Amino acid sequence: MSFSVTEPRRGTKWLAGILVVGYAIITMVPLLWIIATGFKSPTDSIAYPPVVVFDPTLEGYVNLFTDRTRATPQMLEEAGPPETWYDAIAQERGTVITGPSRYGERFLNSVIIGFGSTALCMILGTAAAYAFSRFRVPLKDDLLFFILSTRMMPPIAVAIPIFLMFRNLGLSDTHLGMILLYTAVNLSLSVWLLKGFIDEIPVEYEEAALIDGYTRFQAFYKVVLPQAATGIASTAIFCLIFAWNEYAFAVLLTSGNAQTAPPFIPTIIGTSGKDWPAVAAGATIFLIPVMVFTILLRKHLLRGITFGAVRK
Amino acid sequence: MTYSPIDRAATKTPQGVARRIRGLSDRTIAWIFVSPTIFLLLAVNIFPLIWTIRLSFTDYRVNRPNNEVSWVGLQNYQRILSDPDIWNTMQATAHFLIWTIILQVLIGFTLAYLINMKFKGNDLWTTIIVFPMMLSPAVVGNFWTFLYQPQIGLFNYVVAFFTGADPASFSMIGDVNLAPWAIVIVDTWMWTPFVMLICLAGLRSIPDSIYEAAECDRASKWRQFWTITVPMALPFLMLAVLFRGIENFKMFDLVVQLTGGGPGNTTTLTSIDLKREAFERWRTGYSSAYAVILFVTVFGLASIYVKALNKVKQR
Amino acid sequence: MMGFVNGLLRLRRGPWEMLATVLIGLGVVMLMQPFVLVLYTYSFVVTLVGTVMFIIVSHFPE
Repeated sequence: MSFSVTEPRRGTKWLAGILVVGYAIITMVPLLWIIATGFKSPTDSIAYPPVVVFDPTLEGYVNLFTDRTRATPQMLEEAGPPETWYDAIAQERGTVITGPSRYGERFLNSVIIGFGSTALCMILGTAAAYAFSRFRVPLKDDLLFFILSTRMMPPIAVAIPIFLMFRNLGLSDTHLGMILLYTAVNLSLSVWLLKGFIDEIPVEYEEAALIDGYTRFQAFYKVVLPQAATGIASTAIFCLIFAWNEYAFAVLLTSGNAQTAPPFIPTIIGTSGKDWPAVAAGATIFLIPVMVFTILLRKHLLRGITFGAVRK
Repeated sequence: MTYSPIDRAATKTPQGVARRIRGLSDRTIAWIFVSPTIFLLLAVNIFPLIWTIRLSFTDYRVNRPNNEVSWVGLQNYQRILSDPDIWNTMQATAHFLIWTIILQVLIGFTLAYLINMKFKGNDLWTTIIVFPMMLSPAVVGNFWTFLYQPQIGLFNYVVAFFTGADPASFSMIGDVNLAPWAIVIVDTWMWTPFVMLICLAGLRSIPDSIYEAAECDRASKWRQFWTITVPMALPFLMLAVLFRGIENFKMFDLVVQLTGGGPGNTTTLTSIDLKREAFERWRTGYSSAYAVILFVTVFGLASIYVKALNKVKQR
Repeated sequence: MMGFVNGLLRLRRGPWEMLATVLIGLGVVMLMQPFVLVLYTYSFVVTLVGTVMFIIVSHFPE
């Protein structure tokens, strides 16, 4: 029996715990199913009833990273015994590997555009957030609202003029164009979040530094930046996750050259019909980094989704 | 040690320049710091916005650049705002919007309330529950079409297992009556954690002392819930509802991957319809007017949202 | 209620913002209601007025 009146009884706590854990398990089923399907053979993946226990195979991953062609027995004979384990998997299915698929490229594009836009966004965002936090900027509230409202705009509506503009500037389907676009979209989040983090650093530290003969710039990078390091890191992860997950702009503005993984993964098809293990493998590789980031971010999630308004 | 590159750069800066930087007023520094951001946003957001507004009064078509562009005044707006088909997509959006918000608030608030009882390990389970909302909606939405497959899909199997129906007898994304619910289910699965996190912050912002005072006044738990918990958490709930409302009003990626707007036009949400007008039929002027209507609506909702943000911030 | 009208007359921010919020909300409801086509037609004007009003009145004194 606890003495605090506000503390729920032990039985109530247990019940609450069971309900929450139950929900968490149900909510994880689709995600676990994606991961499991990636290791299934095509037959297992479409078996009825759905199989939970199966022989794991890397076939999905092989199919994800390679282009294959259906081989006649004659071709197989000419190809000789498989040289590598992935050749062996392909030959078992009566196919030969003709080359790498485009998934690797698309994944690399996601990495380049994601990290490029995040880096640019952090440089611009930190500077602007510092100015908004410490200086009297004319029309500050209006500017901040304007910055936030850019985030709310429907991507498809924004995409119409961006499409025309990129075409005129030669930026369509280029990495630079996508980096600039994602930076612009993410700036609102980074400015608002970082302003919150910098607001929390006492002004006295900088004042002391200024009295010691530091210039404003020195005070900014020697006092404020190290203090805001955690905030900057978590803001960067938020920006990275957004750029990583973005689909609407990517599908409308990129095609052959700078296409990222989200528009590509749904287009993966096998030699006969939809190759679900390969899709699941592609999704698994793409989603796992975000799950890791989510765990790193867990203390700052709330700030991130409320633009820094809710602190705890 | 961390800032050694900057130090090195600083020592290399010629004395004259360094002195000039040293002499910069705070006002100048503020402008140097803010202007790149403002400039980029002007270039990538405001300039295109003005362009869209201008195009919305014309009959310009991207795929026919040689056609003469003529000024049509408000005709595009009149056509959109009297078109029953677009009105229908608004209603499809409304169905999606209302049900996702109701379900997410109910489930999200309940979860937050339960987690706030601080049972052992609640942090771990909160993180696990949050996973779906951090993932790419397009990739996850695409995979849900697999779960929704009539015979082999896991979702159909589970439903069949509990109801006794034949798992091949219904298709969540192929049936006119079920498809609007298929997108509601996936969105709820994905975004309930969002509402939950904000509600949790609201519940945690209520000081224990208020409950202790109520306990002294012998107020029942039920009464405490309705007179303390709900009103104190309400601003947070409003914030979550507004944000989900704005997000789902412009919903594109998840639904386009799940159903592509079909079957028929049953799940053609506004953004999907706009995408068809702008990037498949290439009616640029017409779709610009469509876009402006969405802009203004979202902008209006966003101003209310910022007001709600400030209200929560004062706590 | 008297305070609300008074605030409107003296161009105070609170009541005017409330009015603009109601207009925006009304516009959104009109846009998506399934009952009368005419309401849908005029929804945009209502939302536009509400939004513009909101931008202006947010500069009024508290």
